Amino acid sequence: MIVRLNNTTTSAIAREIDELHVERGEAAQGRVLTLVIITGDAHLEGALETINAASREHPCRVIAIVTDADKHTNTDEKSDRPGTSGSTPAESDRTLDPDNRCISYKTARPGGDHTLDAEIRFGSDAGAGEVIVLRPVPALLDHSDALVIPLLVPDAPLVVWWPANAPKAPSKDLIGAMATSRITDAMEADDPEIAFASLLEHSGAADVDLSWTRTTIWRALLASIIDQPPHLPVTSVRVTGQAHFLPLELLASWLALKLEVPVTVERDPRAQAITGVYFTRGDGTMSMERHRADQARINQPGQASQTISMPLRTAVDCMSEEMGRLDPDEVYQDVISRGWPMVHNRCTR
Amino acid sequence: MATTPNRRPADGPESTDARPAEQGPWHNPLLDPRDLRMPRIAGPSSLVIFGVTGDLAKKKLLPAVYDLANRGLLPASFGLIGFGRRDWDDQAFASFAEENVRAHCRTPFNESTWRHLSQGMRFVKGTFDDAEAFRRLSATVSELDRVRGTRGNHAFYMSVPPRDFPIVARQLAESGLSHSTEGAWRRVIIEKPFGRDLASAKELDRVVSEVFEPDSVFRIDHYLGKETVQNLLALRFANMMFEPVWNSNYVSHVQITMAEDMGIGGRAGYYDGIGAARDVIQNHLLQLMALTAMEEPVSFAASDLTAEKTKVLSAIRLPKDLAAHTARGQYAAGWQGSQHVVGYLDEDGISPDSTTETYAAIRLDVDTRRWAGVPFYLRTGKRLGKRVSEIAVVFKRAPHLPFEATATRELGANAIVIRVQPDEGVTLRFGAKTPGSAMEVRDVNMDFSYGRSFTEASPEAYERLILDVLLGDPPLFPTTEEVNLSWRILDPIEEFWTEQGRPQPYRAGTWGPEEADRMLARDGHHWRMP
Repeated sequence: MIVRLNNTTTSAIAREIDELHVERGEAAQGRVLTLVIITGDAHLEGALETINAASREHPCRVIAIVTDADKHTNTDEKSDRPGTSGSTPAESDRTLDPDNRCISYKTARPGGDHTLDAEIRFGSDAGAGEVIVLRPVPALLDHSDALVIPLLVPDAPLVVWWPANAPKAPSKDLIGAMATSRITDAMEADDPEIAFASLLEHSGAADVDLSWTRTTIWRALLASIIDQPPHLPVTSVRVTGQAHFLPLELLASWLALKLEVPVTVERDPRAQAITGVYFTRGDGTMSMERHRADQARINQPGQASQTISMPLRTAVDCMSEEMGRLDPDEVYQDVISRGWPMVHNRCTR
Repeated sequence: MATTPNRRPADGPESTDARPAEQGPWHNPLLDPRDLRMPRIAGPSSLVIFGVTGDLAKKKLLPAVYDLANRGLLPASFGLIGFGRRDWDDQAFASFAEENVRAHCRTPFNESTWRHLSQGMRFVKGTFDDAEAFRRLSATVSELDRVRGTRGNHAFYMSVPPRDFPIVARQLAESGLSHSTEGAWRRVIIEKPFGRDLASAKELDRVVSEVFEPDSVFRIDHYLGKETVQNLLALRFANMMFEPVWNSNYVSHVQITMAEDMGIGGRAGYYDGIGAARDVIQNHLLQLMALTAMEEPVSFAASDLTAEKTKVLSAIRLPKDLAAHTARGQYAAGWQGSQHVVGYLDEDGISPDSTTETYAAIRLDVDTRRWAGVPFYLRTGKRLGKRVSEIAVVFKRAPHLPFEATATRELGANAIVIRVQPDEGVTLRFGAKTPGSAMEVRDVNMDFSYGRSFTEASPEAYERLILDVLLGDPPLFPTTEEVNLSWRILDPIEEFWTEQGRPQPYRAGTWGPEEADRMLARDGHHWRMP
């Protein structure tokens, strides 16, 4: 269910949410965190879909701020975008949109400056929480913290996620500065390399990039391989995978940091994601390879090779993992501050 | 046979050379205690299930194994061996497993996960008294070591009646399966009940410990998932606001309930002669009581936790007058919700003059400064009003109420209720003014639910259990000493009851016999309606 509030205020949104909670008999106290998504219109629906699935595990209130609302117009509404004046649909007018979703329109404030449009999504349109989509005029974006403060879940952690382009220094962003945890995704930025370079420069304790999250399964399986006797020291590591793929670079950095041995990275433009990790030890080479999208092969000296199901991580997997733990990831900080130079200074030389 | 052939003889000194700063046991450099996002994946191993065609295996164990695999927590080198009487080959077993996994798995069914998992499935046909079958099992295990790289690590799940434990244990010993080679492990998982009294519990322990090392024996009480235990510990010891009132200065009494709406179902053979107290109070309720009453452990390590539980169990005192402070009941015919159900004596396989109780309630006291004078009431039963497990800490009334007597007529006692199942969570019960011009205070509930605040889909208890066994993580479940202490508490009560003839009948779908209500009324309390 979607309630569209055109030309509205944050207090009207907050009131509408409270009323919907009462009407639907839901307790708002169940929400354990607020997730703020800051994105352009192009990435909005994709991000909401991801978070609706992830919120099944982590009920939360989602506030999506559309940063380029003034540049887009919706097809099913002609004249009620911010900055334009015109007739808004009558109070509680219910329609079905092209995707067959039930939409009701409420006008909160006839007249006055048109600064904010909003949408509240509940139930089947919003996973296990509620979603508030805010479309502010550009001037309001300069005060984005004041825009979301009245809508945050009281006394609960605040997570900010930039699904595509993030500010240069997320911790200096108005909302980012308030957050318990800041999630960026450099791989989705217009230029991933530049995005990541600026992350390396500005990364703060509460920052994490989803490129790191994408390595978790690899890291866990590699740790379980190293766990097996005989515990011979690893003398060098070779990592192979897709060129321009940040998770590969982070995985290599992590291995270099933790094993304190030379790590070489082989980048192949035709490869998909991470394709292999090869440990050289006194008794031969132990490796884990993924040449097919859904399975990995583990080879150990003196053992029959084994395959294991290993699907590519989805955005939902990654966001679930991020929402499952909110404390600063010290290992990630170590990897980008100390591990990254161990691998990447070598290859530029 | 299990270790790698080209393993170097001196792996010890070499691995310490690599990390000279660290003496003692080898440490995996890739593991970091700060790395909370990294799941622990079990090492190469196999799980052998005895009684694989039983209800438990079908509904819980096989789906839990699949769910673990689907969550990526099982290693590539994993084997699953079923042992049973059916005339099956590996393929037939795999399709039997697939059918049950599809019906009961928690995570979505994924073909690729299943394909990899089923490649490591084997079936060994045989009976428990057939030494040849155990030799075949031994060969199958070795084959998995070779083909699947399970490296001699094997866990044996005894999903069989307790009377079969000794013979299975002996066969495992005789076929050499219980002995681990160097660097590998063998573990055994046994389910409650752990015996039927102190003597038989000790005998069972003797049989199992002859075959397996004490720390290789994992006793499982599936009612009491590790998650529940840890939630309870977090509530008590991670917070400031509960512990200060968690004592006899404020607490009037504690009620621990486990009610089932089901009858005995098809378990007549097991249940008759055992009864509610042995089935539930001895393990589940006494464990919950120990966790509620114990002092703060110095750490959450299994050994420290056991130390505190043991202490409090050893401080439990039985009432002098067992007739006044215990109650028994047996369900009679009635209506369970909207369905007519037969009484216990009319169930299939139950003798019409059975004196087995299906409801048991007892009062226990704890002789410590913290709990002096605070009775703990434990009750359990079948065919009660609904399925519920909870711990209710009921507080004393405020010593002075500065209101008119009429204002607090409807005010009951404050309570903290820890709901164990279903809908795990915590309820706080306290008085609030009813709106209006008159001053009137009434009880209200403040509610916290794990499901609503954290996750809709938390892992099944068995997933956690099996993973802990494969990882060798010592379980938070009872040690031999705790089991023995629990029997020491229950044995005198059982002995007293055997002299009392028939338990009092109660109508199915109600909250137990009148005797139980009188038992609490004597102390000036009444049972909560959960």
